[in-house]
Amino acid sequence: MPMSDDKHEAAWLETFFEAARAHPAAPSPALMTAVLRAAEAPPPAPPRVPLMARLRDAFGGWPAMAGLATAAAVGVWIGTALPEPATGASEAVWLVDIAPELAFDLAGDF
Amino acid sequence: MVMPFDDSDTTPDEALLADFARGDPSAARALTLRLTPRVFAHAYRLLGNRAEAEEVAQEAMLRLWRQAPDWREGEAKVSTWLYRVTANLCIDRRRRAKGGTVPLDAVPEPPDAQPGVAERMQARDRAAALQAALSDLPERQRQAVVLRHIEGLANPEIAAIMGASVEAVESLTTRGRRALAAALGTRKEELGYADER
Repeated sequence: MPMSDDKHEAAWLETFFEAARAHPAAPSPALMTAVLRAAEAPPPAPPRVPLMARLRDAFGGWPAMAGLATAAAVGVWIGTALPEPATGASEAVWLVDIAPELAFDLAGDF
Repeated sequence: MVMPFDDSDTTPDEALLADFARGDPSAARALTLRLTPRVFAHAYRLLGNRAEAEEVAQEAMLRLWRQAPDWREGEAKVSTWLYRVTANLCIDRRRRAKGGTVPLDAVPEPPDAQPGVAERMQARDRAAALQAALSDLPERQRQAVVLRHIEGLANPEIAAIMGASVEAVESLTTRGRRALAAALGTRKEELGYADER
């Protein structure tokens, strides 16, 4: 077989490749068992996440948490800093009077 | 006889992996039986050492199990992914062992008394000779030749596995084949090619 002949060389080499395909190295039973055991093992438990980190993630990160904190602070300020209540005694009467049937129903049980 | 594994399943690897991620134990068995021998054989061809190939195969399969829950179907073939992971693990090992020679433990199976023994022995001898010649090739040539001519993959898939262009793969396989032919040519008589001169 002249080795300069590419086709012959390819065919000749192919006999080696064919032999390699026909006789692959076989894994040991120990390897097969180890791989299967690893597959059947429970997945590792997820790491414990601190409460603040979970809250931060739930609200969408630190910018969202900062916005929420600001909104809460403004709410507290509005609730405490106004000089007098938003509704006086006369308005409160109106609020009760617009639902008289509710007051009637409640009274009807007695 | 109890058969611990059953590889009669023709379900695609990707579907089996999805079943495995959902906790199906039969999918784990099918994948183990189907893929571990392939991964091990590939690692052995790249490393030429059984013990190291077993370690690599185990690590590659472990990585597949870990990857399963995050596997996105349609993005990659499981076999392509495994060939890449296996090759990278082999390359890491060879780099760590740089300077030393890789021992070749391609021990042929003991011959039996069945007909065709001579032919089988010759085939095994040729497989062992090829393995020895492969071990002397540069890393990338060896990987390309094994993927193309033994695993039977197409050049575009090999290119994806190796992170190279198709042209580079063609060049690597051509040079690898030439080097193999030169190395094996010196052992013709020994390997049953005495009449081919």
